[in-house]
Amino acid sequence: MDLLRAVEASHFSEWVRESGSIWSYPTIIFLHSVGLAIIVGLSTAIDLRVLGFAPDLPVAPMEKLFPIMWAGFWVNAVSGVFLAAADAPAMMTSWLFLLKMAIIGFALVTMVSLRRELFRPPTSGRVMSGTAKALAVTSLLLWTGAITAGRLTAYLGPSAEIKGVH
Amino acid sequence: MVRSLSIWLHGTNLSWAARGGLPWLWPLCETLHFIGMAMLIGIVGLLDLRMLGLLKGLPLRPLQRLLPWGVAGFVINLLTGITFYSGDPFQYIDNNVFWLKMGFIALAGVNVLLFYATGLSDRVNQVGAGERVPGAARAVAAASLLLWLGVIYWGRMLPFLGGAF
Repeated sequence: MDLLRAVEASHFSEWVRESGSIWSYPTIIFLHSVGLAIIVGLSTAIDLRVLGFAPDLPVAPMEKLFPIMWAGFWVNAVSGVFLAAADAPAMMTSWLFLLKMAIIGFALVTMVSLRRELFRPPTSGRVMSGTAKALAVTSLLLWTGAITAGRLTAYLGPSAEIKGVH
Repeated sequence: MVRSLSIWLHGTNLSWAARGGLPWLWPLCETLHFIGMAMLIGIVGLLDLRMLGLLKGLPLRPLQRLLPWGVAGFVINLLTGITFYSGDPFQYIDNNVFWLKMGFIALAGVNVLLFYATGLSDRVNQVGAGERVPGAARAVAAASLLLWLGVIYWGRMLPFLGGAF
């Protein structure tokens, strides 16, 4: 807890939280939204293809989406660390925030597993395996859960009173 | 007109519910607004990236089959957005940041209209795997990406530059 308070009290955290600069909290949280749209949006596109929508769309070229999705993830990992550091004691003791972290962990494992399932030979190309479909459904549910838990940290638990989160 | 519409909206049950009559409605709509954003940006952005020349292995006509999901994301955000607006119209009505966001959405709409009305979409539909789309379509795709990014930016800036939530 002392460590969390020290992180919260650091110059950087103070700048993010209280400087009022457009480049601090507002820009960081904007980037966090963009990263979310990239990783969740493109995951959704792949999941929908796996589940049989757009059946004529070849799957193989979609492997190139994964580096873009990882870029979205890293934007959010870095911006997320900055945002969490700004309010470290409240965030790290918020069960919703910790739940969000766990859900994201599972979502990433699902993403990597789906990539293996889709692109490791032999793939038939068109007919999706039951495993791939199950991973796609899991992916959609986990990302929905991560967004929900993230949004609700502004309303429930010790992080609820943080200004600016709304 | 906007003012009289806002006054009417403020008197509706939806406004009452959004203002706190149903305390869970606002967080629920916020969550849905992010989900709708991801659907819209994910599907439309994927089409834009393909037209810009990334992921050339994807033929355009089958890719367009995903478009209804992007439209669904837009409709989710339109409905949740109306809910936000109804809850407190007067924090948005004279708010430059809010109208910038609406302006960017309108421009993105015009961009889509041009894409279909000029017959560009039909030409793009013929573009198979490994082929390039016409230059005009690349311009539409670049404009689409920038405009939707702008929509997210102005929406995200509402609390910071617009004094609204």
